[in-house]
Amino acid sequence: MDEPMNDAPGAQVKVTFTTNEADLQLPEEKRQLLVPADIRRYGLSRILNSDLMLDSGSIPFDFLVNGSFLRSSLEDYLNSEGLSLETNLTLQYVRSLIPPVFEASFEHDDWVSSVDALTATSPAGRWSGENFSRGQERILSASYDGLLRIWNTSGEVLVTAPSASHGGHSASIKAAKFISSTQIASTGMDRSVRVWKYTDPGASGQAELKPTLELYGHRASVDSLEVHGPSKRILTASADGSVALWSASKSSSPEADASLLPNAHTSKRRKVASSVTTPQRGPLFLMQIHNAPATAAVFDPRDHTVGYSVSQDHTVKTLDLTTGSVVANLTLSHSLLSLCAIPRSNGAPLLAVGTSARHITLVDPRASAATTSVMTLRGHTNKVVALAANPENEYSLVSGSHDGTCRIWDLRSVRPASGGESEGGVGGNVSEPVYVFERESRQGKKKSVAGEGAKVFGVVWDRELGILSGGEDKKVQVNRGRDVVRE
Amino acid sequence: MKSKPVEKKRKARDEESDSEADDELANGLFDGVLEASEDEEDYIPSDEIDDVDSESEVSEGSEDAEEEEGDDDALLSDDIPSDDEMGKLSKDAEELEITEPGVDPKPKHQEEEDRNYKVVKDANGGERYVYDEIDPVYDSDDSDAQGPVNTIGNIPLSFYDSYPHIGYDINGKKIMRPATGDALQSLLDTIEVPKGWTGLTDINTGNPLNLTQEELELVRRVQHGLVPDEGYDPYPDTVEWFSSKQETMPLSAAPEPKRRFLPSKNEAKQVMKLVRAIREGRILPYKPPEEREREEEEKEEVQFDLWQDEEPAAPNPMHIPAPKLPPPGYEMSYNPPEEYLPTKEEREEWEKTDPEDREKEFLPQKFNSLRKVPAWGTLVKERFERCMDLYLAPRVRKNRLNIDPNSLLPKLPSPAELKPFPTVVQTIFRGHEGTVRSVAIDPTGVALATGGSDGTVRVWELLTGRQVWSVKLSSEDPVYTVRWRPTKDAFVLAASAGEDVFLMVPPHSSVTPTLDQASRDVLAAGFGYATNGQQPATAPGKEPAGKWARPGTKLEDAGVLVRVTVRSAVKVITWHRRGDHFATVSPEGQRSSVAIHTLSKHLTQIPFRKLHGLAQTVVFHPLKPLFFVATMRTVRCYDLQKVELVKIVQPGAKWISSLDIHSGGDHLIVGSYDRRLLWHDLDLSNRPHKTMRFHPKAIRAVRFHKGGLPLFADASDDGTLQIFYGKVPNDQLESPTIVPVKQLKGHKVVNQVGVVDIDWHPREPWCVSAGADGTARLWM
Repeated sequence: MDEPMNDAPGAQVKVTFTTNEADLQLPEEKRQLLVPADIRRYGLSRILNSDLMLDSGSIPFDFLVNGSFLRSSLEDYLNSEGLSLETNLTLQYVRSLIPPVFEASFEHDDWVSSVDALTATSPAGRWSGENFSRGQERILSASYDGLLRIWNTSGEVLVTAPSASHGGHSASIKAAKFISSTQIASTGMDRSVRVWKYTDPGASGQAELKPTLELYGHRASVDSLEVHGPSKRILTASADGSVALWSASKSSSPEADASLLPNAHTSKRRKVASSVTTPQRGPLFLMQIHNAPATAAVFDPRDHTVGYSVSQDHTVKTLDLTTGSVVANLTLSHSLLSLCAIPRSNGAPLLAVGTSARHITLVDPRASAATTSVMTLRGHTNKVVALAANPENEYSLVSGSHDGTCRIWDLRSVRPASGGESEGGVGGNVSEPVYVFERESRQGKKKSVAGEGAKVFGVVWDRELGILSGGEDKKVQVNRGRDVVRE
Repeated sequence: MKSKPVEKKRKARDEESDSEADDELANGLFDGVLEASEDEEDYIPSDEIDDVDSESEVSEGSEDAEEEEGDDDALLSDDIPSDDEMGKLSKDAEELEITEPGVDPKPKHQEEEDRNYKVVKDANGGERYVYDEIDPVYDSDDSDAQGPVNTIGNIPLSFYDSYPHIGYDINGKKIMRPATGDALQSLLDTIEVPKGWTGLTDINTGNPLNLTQEELELVRRVQHGLVPDEGYDPYPDTVEWFSSKQETMPLSAAPEPKRRFLPSKNEAKQVMKLVRAIREGRILPYKPPEEREREEEEKEEVQFDLWQDEEPAAPNPMHIPAPKLPPPGYEMSYNPPEEYLPTKEEREEWEKTDPEDREKEFLPQKFNSLRKVPAWGTLVKERFERCMDLYLAPRVRKNRLNIDPNSLLPKLPSPAELKPFPTVVQTIFRGHEGTVRSVAIDPTGVALATGGSDGTVRVWELLTGRQVWSVKLSSEDPVYTVRWRPTKDAFVLAASAGEDVFLMVPPHSSVTPTLDQASRDVLAAGFGYATNGQQPATAPGKEPAGKWARPGTKLEDAGVLVRVTVRSAVKVITWHRRGDHFATVSPEGQRSSVAIHTLSKHLTQIPFRKLHGLAQTVVFHPLKPLFFVATMRTVRCYDLQKVELVKIVQPGAKWISSLDIHSGGDHLIVGSYDRRLLWHDLDLSNRPHKTMRFHPKAIRAVRFHKGGLPLFADASDDGTLQIFYGKVPNDQLESPTIVPVKQLKGHKVVNQVGVVDIDWHPREPWCVSAGADGTARLWM
């Protein structure tokens, strides 16, 4: 008896709206609704935004049905799932992620290893507080040619860091970050961490980038650098397996190990005639904790005395940065190459760990957690070497990989893993990327094997500027969703 | 035989009739004699021939007799008369025959002995027999006798014309010719014709034959061919007493006699008798005499039965019983159910298809009864084709083992369970011009060194593929091999170009000033040693095994610190695990092809005065002071402390290309140019434990994972790498588990050369390969 009704153009589906967002809760009596079967995301979003429902204006919503985003009409979804139109669908509505659209790319002379943004909402901007003025948004890029560059948002280089002979890095830079609107930390393959003083040109003046401090302690290439502005702490991870905590201020730093200074043993051939003498200091703590190259270390977003580090020896370690000791140790089954902490409102952050096995594992670092591996994000076809959390919420992140793509993931869109699919064995969840965007420079070219010429090395997600990524194509690429950044 | 006397007889008769008057008697006599003799002759053979007939006559007669009631018992006991009986019967028949006149010759002989006649001359002068008067012994008082009856028999009366008598009565007395009247009397007699006068004379009596009216009428009817009896109607109207018409009042009310419907017992007996006779061969079917004769002739021909004595042979072991056919189904029936009958389309389709392509050879047909089924039209054709099949395609028994081939395969774990192992290419190192000849990952797993045909050595960041350092060692010779010094206390790379081995400290992010200094010290230590004059003195005029020198400022600035020159081009460098010794192989170097260099003393030694075959590669044992040298065919293991040959391993390959030893030291893998990969268990045997052929082209390199993972890999000229899982058990008794897990494809084949070298990451399941296409690839 239902058949003719189903085929009728006016077929309707009973849906129940739910949400996890506290400010967008519907009253109980409005949650159930009959909607036309051929309605799509846009229509549902319009309904929710209407006066009768949320009266929220125009928030774009996405709808999760059974853990996956609704990408077709309800009717098509039901057909593809083999469900009848009689089914009561539970739609979880979430604020929509707008597809990131390519905006600009900034040319470099060499591979771009790392990018950072300075805006009012970026960590450095927030830490700067009053010192940061609007319109002063800056992009910092670190390149394999050993130079730091600071760009304004229209793609002009404001200042380039001095070369090795003038107090700059003597080898490729692997990571760089704004500590504040006036201070920059960078590190790279010359094993040193450098702190720079950045003078913004302001309205008309000349931008300046001066080395203020050289920090020595690592014995191999330093691959990752994280900063905490208020305490002026720098956390680095090095290929020698050590994680070090540094101070960005000269006064609070101990003396450096003389044997590690570049001119300690240099013969005349290797002496670098540096015209600038910069104070050289050592680390606050140098923790030789990994058996293999440490690839990333981050501060806990809530507490800068807690850090996390990952390494190619498959471990995730929780560090106490006041004593310089390892608190907890977690062993996964692959080499770990990147790390980012996703703050969670309800306690310890979730750690997203990029692995050499081409996936991202989400790890709960708490020792009490029942399952250490919460979720596995699959989709990349090469090493995942860069991760950045969405600054606006706690359930999405962007990853950069050597396969030449950046992928945006929504942790709410999950499904239970079938056997052997998840990182931590049975019981984990897996997810697919919500958006994938490739290097603009590779557009139209054949997809290269192993991401040759398109590898992404660094990615950062800024609330105002969008997603910035740098890679082997010698470009910083800016992608931004149209309405992701809400005023 | 028979026809001749008959002819003669006839001839005689003819003569007799012709010359009746002249020599009647003589002829008759002669005739009689002839006849007699002829009869005798005739009789004897005819007796044999007629024997059967007479017998059958007699048996018939006896059968007739048997019909009589008295003989019933005898008949029941013995239906067929026995031979004795038959003999008796035939004797009787012979006796009977004797009585026949003119057949038996016996009375003749008696006649001659006591003759009762006398010969007198008759009127014509001829001989005449006058018989004695036979005196009948008895007095005949036959009152009934009506006068004398002539006894001359059936001979013409004219014989007696010349005699006064006309014959003899029963007593042999002459019957005198009745007196004949004269002609007048005769005329008178004719005028006064007595009643019934015919004018004929009764031949028996000689009296005028008078016939009554009835007799005359009878004669007339006979003359006219009518039925003599006047009252007889030869064609009476038939009265159909028994007709198809059912009479209401039948002629006879008697019930139908049993004999009408009961088969006659007697008949059955007779038939049975005949049947038995036929069965026993006493009655033979009739055959025309000619055929019978022919058969007899054939019988006389000797025919041999060739196979008479043949024993039934045991069935041939190659005998193949015909395949069992399925039982006939409904569609084969002459009267199948309707649903089996083809529809019109099916029939058309069947007719359209080629006879060879038809699924069935026939179409089901429906017949009301079996007798309406026609003969099978294609029988002859089918038989012929079947014979042709058997002739042209005889069935042959194939000896085939009925074993599931999969069950013979060893039970190998699935590759998915053996993870991790490298599966895809993740980084491509591009930069070399021409073939990348060698790859090596440094002990810390961060840097990758490659050497290429362009004479350069390059150092790369392993994960990103970033080239961090490059040096050109030679403009002519390719860099055949690059190998890192295996310890972490110094960062030293050895590379060979032509006859030179270069030792260098590449400036790398991992090289701190301290490490750099340490590495330089390690390399420079020997110079002091050399200058101290402790270098063993070489024979004057003889070239030293190796010359250690600084390579020149240009290279020294780049980080290349020591150059060792040996006698011929170095293809292989192998470090000892402690890093103080390294061995080089220059296959063309003849006696000095293998050299062991001591870094701390800048000393080059040639350990072998003589080598069996061209040295291909060498390897140090990871734990013991053993040294493996692979020549083209064998691998020799030497003890370096005792300086003696420990073992000869024979992989069985024709040309060994590469060799590697497991970190446990007991297992060896050997790659060969003849496409084989051989796994040796050194404790077990000198022969390979397992031989693997996975590549269609030569294998150029083999390598164990040295960081504790049970993996090894080979690199082949077909452009692929084959990754194996090779678990060496802790228990000596178990054999190693070797499973091919992945074939890595990606390298292009250039000039028949594919992948040249391979190296494993020191910790991770990652491997790096060097290809002829100018790339090195990282697989993970």
